This record gives sequence, structure tokens and C-alpha cells, in this order.
Amino acid sequence: MPITILAPRPSRPTRKHPQEDASVTSDTDSEAGGVDLDGDLPMTTTRPSKRARLNTTTTQSTAAFEIVTPGEIITDDPQWMRGHGTYVTPSTTAITSSVAGTMTRTNKLLSVRPLRARYTPEVGDLVVGRIVEVQAKRWRVDVGSTQLASLPLSAINLPGGILRKRTETDELQIRTFFAEGDLLVAEVQQLFADGGAVLHTRSLKYGKLRNGVFVAVSGTGGGGGVVRSRRQVWTMEAANGGGLVDVVLGVNGYVWISKHVETPEAGADSSSSSKAAAGITNMEESVSTTMYSSQNDRIEVEAMREIARLRGVVTALVENGLRVDEDMVVRGYHEAVEMAMVSAEGPDDIYLGGERGQQLAAALRGA
Amino acid sequence: MPLDTSTYNLALLRVDGRRWNELRRVHAQIRTQAAADGSSYLEMGHTKVMCVVTGPSEPGPRRGTGGGGAGGAGAGGAAEVVVSIVIAGFSSVDRKRHGRGDKRTLELQSTVANALAASLHIHLFPHSQVNISLHVLSQDGSLLAALINAAALACVDAGIPMTDYVAACTAGSTSTYAANDEGADPLLDLNHQEEQELPGLTVATLGESDRVVVLVCESRVQVSRLEGMLAVGVDGCKQVREILDRVVREKGRRMVQEGTVEKGIGLNEMDVD
Repeated sequence: MPITILAPRPSRPTRKHPQEDASVTSDTDSEAGGVDLDGDLPMTTTRPSKRARLNTTTTQSTAAFEIVTPGEIITDDPQWMRGHGTYVTPSTTAITSSVAGTMTRTNKLLSVRPLRARYTPEVGDLVVGRIVEVQAKRWRVDVGSTQLASLPLSAINLPGGILRKRTETDELQIRTFFAEGDLLVAEVQQLFADGGAVLHTRSLKYGKLRNGVFVAVSGTGGGGGVVRSRRQVWTMEAANGGGLVDVVLGVNGYVWISKHVETPEAGADSSSSSKAAAGITNMEESVSTTMYSSQNDRIEVEAMREIARLRGVVTALVENGLRVDEDMVVRGYHEAVEMAMVSAEGPDDIYLGGERGQQLAAALRGA
Repeated sequence: MPLDTSTYNLALLRVDGRRWNELRRVHAQIRTQAAADGSSYLEMGHTKVMCVVTGPSEPGPRRGTGGGGAGGAGAGGAAEVVVSIVIAGFSSVDRKRHGRGDKRTLELQSTVANALAASLHIHLFPHSQVNISLHVLSQDGSLLAALINAAALACVDAGIPMTDYVAACTAGSTSTYAANDEGADPLLDLNHQEEQELPGLTVATLGESDRVVVLVCESRVQVSRLEGMLAVGVDGCKQVREILDRVVREKGRRMVQEGTVEKGIGLNEMDVD
């Protein structure tokens, strides 16, 4: 009994794009099912051709939600240049997407921003990182990138004066500055051709982190990560007697939330007047001794609770697909404080997962 | 029990009620694990596979050659694709322990690694490593195809640039090698029972093109039947690609709608000026 080629039956309901429905020139190949054994394979393509898309007038709203996926030809017009997330097949001019994401255009440059990807360092980025390896003259730092970043000994503030040449003694004591597992905030100073980054902490803003909690959210590639913004570090007044809290949003998706500690200059003025008289050299020494300390200061229970609440806000933002920046975190925090006020447990209620997280996100979206 | 081929000839239906050119139900999800760089879950019929991708990231300390890794490419200026496959003891009908050094698993690992290394743009990530971890939860034939599809989806989720999807499926023939039946018809997407008794092959193609990146045939089959099987397999790969693409698009559209990702520009707006 010979095989009868049966009428095509879509294996799942085909939900066509509006462009396809409208395009008259849409090929009828999708109407043919099965296989021709002569080796002539019907191309069951549902991807609308470029021309079909151009001819039809699509509603902007549906088109705007579309993404491109790997292997999709974006354009075969040679006037465009290819950017990140695209490639050109040899012997053609067609620019093809290589990642799933949304398309962006800068003049004649087409690039595709992936829905999610690892952090790619750029010069000037503020990053939070963790030391994973100590070498002779540098540290290797995990910044959530494709490679470990390096932090040379010469790129940190050495004790005993901000601008001092590094000596052999410093090399021998390299672990007293940063040891494996230490967290730090730094800036990307330089990039290598292969994508590796060099960090520096040559500012009083940067350096070792303590007195707080670390949160990792997915990177900048999307998925509600940290976005590059004007201000990545700020100090805010916590509610319920929590005192001042510092928040550091690393562009790489690593976040640090800690109790605010007065800078040593200010501390010297207020706490002990005798030390203040000791002069500028002494002050610099006090800067350096506290700078590389791994010992936490005393943190009050209230401050800990508010730090934990801020952490909950950040994870809730990520879980519900909202971007993480100063505005959202501050507003989210105030919202969370309000939510805790009306709950049965009062301010001690810091849980922001599940439904409460969704409630928080809904409040932020509505505002 | 041999497959009752006479029944097939009467009704042209296979043991599970499919026609010769029908795929089993394919269900796929991406971003199943929030903490991973990329993740996916894929069911092809009753074959269920979970995949987690880590990287591209700094390679860990070198393991011995006896480890579960399978290099996709040399370290020379490109990332290395390392695949590890864990087959759960409860995945098949008879409970079996699969050791780490199992030769079959090692071969699966290196096949998946080579297939993906051919499509991924690993030259963009020197001195790094892409770790693909696959867990087989349930087996009902077409295991290699399901592994490749799940790994491809997870790599898309991880945002690793690639030439195109690598989509795989299996194809077989309605009668055994011994029957030497010239008129045997090709079958698409074999299940476990068919895989046991009939000749079959696994084929993976690069996206919508006819470029075959994986072709594995572990059974005896007359060469005259091979062409038909391959044609059916390649056609099945295209159907699988469409399914995978739909899953990714659906997820992407939802993310754009929710505002997680900024909207892109449409081609229309682009071509206006």
C-alpha cells in the first residue's frame, strides 16, 4: 500500500504575525506539509521576508513588542553597518541577528541588545567585585563578566598617603590590603582587546566594603538589572531609626547595601578633638588603617533590619522585572516601609517575596 | 515484542498513533532557573531534559581528562564549550546507574559540545568557558535530539551570540534492516520502542538552512533508505526550529511588554529615512 501524502495539519495552532496575514506576497509554502522524497524540501518558513514587512503597514504597538532571534535576517540592504549582536554571512550583505533581543540603531549602525547577557565592562563603569585570587602584583576580581577583572597593586590607595609609589614591602603585604573573598567597589580604568578589564580604586569613594550585605542581580543585559545612571552610589535616611544607609549599585549587577560610616575626616572632628589636632599626616594614616580593615563596626539591630528591607526591595524589583536604579530603590523602600506599617508585625515585617513583592511592584508601576 | 509492521501498513498509524511525518508534542520553556545565566526545559514526547548554561566565564581549574567535560574547541583564542550530562537513575523504565565515565554519556557530551561549538560565536570570548549542564529526567527515545535542542535554547537564553539555532530530531524507517524491504517508509521522531526495533538516525541542522551539523546513525540500514530518512529528518529539524523560535519570541515579547527590556525599533521606522 503506497503512502498517501496527507493534507497538512499544523502540529500546533499557528498564531501568525499580523504582518504575514496582511502580506499578499506571503509565500504559500506553509500550506504544503510533509516531505517530497525527491530531495526537494518545502521550506515551511513563518518568518516574513523583509519585503513583505516593508510593504505592509503594521500597527506600531505590536511591532514594538517584537524581538529578533538568532538567525533572523534583519536587513539585506548594504547601507547598514553591523553592530553588536549581529553578523554578516560571508558572500552576502545580509545582516543577521546572532542573539535574541531588541534592535537598536545608532545612525547607520544596527545592533541587537540581548534579552539577557553577562556584563560587558566599559571604561568608567562603577563595579562591585569580589577578590577571587591574589597574585604577586595584582588581584583577580570577579565582576560578573566573561573574564575576571584585574586590580593591580599600583591602582589602589596605598596606606600612608594617597599618592605614594608602591614598594616591595607592599608587594609582600598584598594580602593585608585585599584577601580572597573580600568585596570592593572600584571603577573600570582600562579594557583589553579581549574584553578583560583593569580596575582602580584610587579615590576615597572606592575601596573595601564592610558593614553591609551583598546582593547579586542579573547584569545589565536585561532581565531587570542595574542600569547605567548618573548616580550609582547614594546615602539615604532609613526609616524606623535605622540611621543612614549607603547603597552602591554596581553596573555589573552586584549591589552593596551597608550602614553609613562617617568618613574619617569628619569622624576625627566630632569624636576626638585631640586626634584632630595631630595634623594632616595623622589623618591620612587613619584613613589608610580603616580603609583596609575587615572588621565590621557596631551595627544596631534597627540598622540591620532596614538594610535587610532594602535588600528585599532590590530582590523584589528584580523578581518582578523592574529596573534597579536610585529612583526605584528609594521609592520601593518607602513603599515597603508603608507596607510594613500596615501589617500585623509592624516595622519588623521585612518579608518582600512572593505576593508582597508583587504588591510592591504593582505599587511602583502604578505610581 | 517486535513492532507490528502489519498494523502500520493497514492504518498507516504508528504504535503511539502518529502518522509517519508527525512530531511528538514538543513543549519548551526558557529561563526556568533565575540564578543561572541561561536555562531551559524541554519535553519531546516523554523525553524530558533540563539545561543550565553558565558563562561565558573564567575557566575553573583544569580538570583531568577523565572528567565529564568535552571540549568543543581548542583554547586558542576562543571560548571552550564544556558539556556535562547527568542521566537520572529513574529516567528510563529499568532503573540504571549511569556512572560519570559512562562511554555513552561521554559520547553524547562530545556530540552536543561539537554541535554547539559550531554554531556559537565563541571566538568573541577568548580565555573563557561556556558550561552546559544537562539533566535527563525522563527518556523515551530521541535523547540526543532533545539534549541538543535544550542546550540550544539555554544558550539563546544566556545571550551567547550564535549563527542560528541548532535544531535536532530523529528519523527512522518502518521496517527492520533484516526485512530488507525496499518500499519501507521513513518515520519522523522515533520514540523509545521504535528506536529499539527500527533503524534510525539523529540529525541536527543549523537553523533554516539545510546544513547538517550532527548526523548520528547507530543502526544498520540499507543505503537506499538513507536518503529518505535524512530528508524527513531535515524537515523535522525545521519544524523543531520553528517551535524553539516561537518559545523564545513569546518570552521576549512578554519581557518587552512588561517593560523589563526596552523596546526595540521596528524595521518600518528604520526604513523611513
